[in-house]
Amino acid sequence: MKLAVVVQRYGADINGGAEQHARYIAERLAKHAEVEVVTTCARDYVSWRNELAPGLETVNGIPVRRFPVTRERHPIEFGRRSQKVFDSVHSVADELAWLDSEGPTSPALVRYLQASADSFDFVLFFSYRYYHAWHGVRRLASRAVLVPTAERDPAIGLSIFGPVFRGARGIMYNSYEERAMIQAATHNERVPGVVVGVGSEVPARTEPTRFRRRHKISRPFAIYIGRLDANKGCGELFDYFQRYAATFPRGLDLVLVGKPIMPVPKHHRIHHLGYLSDEDKFDALAAADLLIMPSYFESLSMVALEAWALGRPVLANGRCDVLKGQCIRSNAGLYYESYEEFAETLYSLESNGPLHARLGRNGREYFARHYAWPVIEKKYLDMFAQLKKQNASAAIEPLPSWLARRRREVPAANDILSRVPSGAVVRVDSRQGRIA
Amino acid sequence: MDVRNDSVDVEQIMKQVRARIREKRGVDYTEEEIRELASVKLERFLDPKGVRSDLLEQYRSRREASTTPRNYAFEDTTIYESSRPFLRALRKLLNPILKLFFNPTPVVESLHIQSKLNDSYNQAEALYYELIHNLVLETTRLGIEVKNLKMRVESMSSRLDFDERRARALEGVVQYRPGAVAPLQPPAGGGDRERGGPVGSVSNQAAEAERRNRRRRRRGRRRPGGHQSANGERQAAANGGDAAPGDAGGASFEPPPPAGDAGGGSAES
Repeated sequence: MKLAVVVQRYGADINGGAEQHARYIAERLAKHAEVEVVTTCARDYVSWRNELAPGLETVNGIPVRRFPVTRERHPIEFGRRSQKVFDSVHSVADELAWLDSEGPTSPALVRYLQASADSFDFVLFFSYRYYHAWHGVRRLASRAVLVPTAERDPAIGLSIFGPVFRGARGIMYNSYEERAMIQAATHNERVPGVVVGVGSEVPARTEPTRFRRRHKISRPFAIYIGRLDANKGCGELFDYFQRYAATFPRGLDLVLVGKPIMPVPKHHRIHHLGYLSDEDKFDALAAADLLIMPSYFESLSMVALEAWALGRPVLANGRCDVLKGQCIRSNAGLYYESYEEFAETLYSLESNGPLHARLGRNGREYFARHYAWPVIEKKYLDMFAQLKKQNASAAIEPLPSWLARRRREVPAANDILSRVPSGAVVRVDSRQGRIA
Repeated sequence: MDVRNDSVDVEQIMKQVRARIREKRGVDYTEEEIRELASVKLERFLDPKGVRSDLLEQYRSRREASTTPRNYAFEDTTIYESSRPFLRALRKLLNPILKLFFNPTPVVESLHIQSKLNDSYNQAEALYYELIHNLVLETTRLGIEVKNLKMRVESMSSRLDFDERRARALEGVVQYRPGAVAPLQPPAGGGDRERGGPVGSVSNQAAEAERRNRRRRRRGRRRPGGHQSANGERQAAANGGDAAPGDAGGASFEPPPPAGDAGGGSAES
């Protein structure tokens, strides 16, 4: 079996969620099939500037074929187009222009996929919202397996993505919430799909004392790992934690790991360590009492899974359906939707040893049951086997005619999104794969 | 398929968390409602935080910047005064002619009173200045003190909360040796005691032993050969007075593990 993994950026040092997800999957599937990665020369996800050499190279034993991006993203133009398609009635042409402005625009990549389609059994497209996935799935629908990595943002309400979700051969969802959202927005229930997620390279042995010694942290602490960004809920986390620290003077410290996009408050109980190596990161997680995930939008939080793998409970933002659902289904984390809930839940995890231990144990079990690599690999292989048995469905829905594409009658994406039901998925019917 | 682990129910815990928050708040307001209430309060009522600690400084600088005219004494001779004695004498001489045109006396008197008023106003202003100075200092000091006290109260309540929960958590994990007596229970209703209470309850066993001891003492007094009863009493005393010698078959209370272990002595409470 020969597989292609198509993703917007790729590299051992590229740490975006979807990009890392794609790399892990490519490296794991390489044990069962011949895998080739098709990607762009971009390293920066904001500008898509060509920074890596085009052509073939090998990353961790996987052949990687890079194609140049023809235009960098202009943030002002992209912002203007986003506002138009997200907030007002617009045309299909407006959405296509939005897709081009979002990028990474790489026609050479799409041409290569089309030309070499027959040499692949299946092509895995990561991140539905980007240029490569939309054009790739439309051209290779009969072999396309989509890994949407969709969050609850207005892009899911754009009309151009409906045919892509309905036309792909199979869909590998990250969470039950993601599947529920995509199915509600695009009515693609007919397309075979499975909730998979991704595993993680969690080391068998961690050394918390090494971390404490290296970073001179002696007190118990909660940890946040990720970009320090207001969009990730960090502003709210800083505010809540400072209030909590004033109320509980001898409570947990907060350790922050990641690149700062926003200023970090100066507080004697908040320690910002910057970017850490994987070894240090896992040591830090093992040394922490718990992980805090303040993000409002996640398709799957890998760091939460890593915390669970190490037996650490998670305190998540309850306004993020995916995180809340994960906490409830795993019984390995608590969640908050206000400061009072943040304080109560953090305090419970801090002070109630038996509860903390039980949640940690549940997390470890949950990770082993659903996110261990053999489980993930099996789900992918089963999906490929199922798709091989089935005939490819009819061709993907065509785009409207030139004139129809310019008719301004497509509702605002935000309006579509507001009609999509939200909430955590608590119970799942395994036969139907539907919310019970 | 229910994908949840059954031994801990996160949803149930969250319900308890919300119930605790409701208890603390008294009324179940949403975040938005609380914010709205807070903003209404600030708009409608005098905000004590509005007393600024830099008020005194502003007042002082304003006082220094203002150019108050010099006060002067106004007597009945003031209107005739001059630096030249000749002119002063001439004005006095012509005074009767001036009085033919108008009466200067009320003007002189009113200006005299005004001068006195100015004097008293200046003295009062110095007093007001001192008063405001002291008030601002006191208010600022009180504000800081209130803030400190608030923080201390919050800190103490959180510590109390912490201790209570810790005690509850520890009570939940106290381990007893299999076959040992159940932990000491706080006194329940009288009905339980009358019925004998839960099997193996230490408090009930102690009460029962005490009753038996009393019966034995009474019998001992009636019986001759007091040395036997004295022996019995000594033995009972040697057993801590808890049980008669014949009660040795009863289970013994296993003390909780040391404080370092998960358990920490809460069984004695």
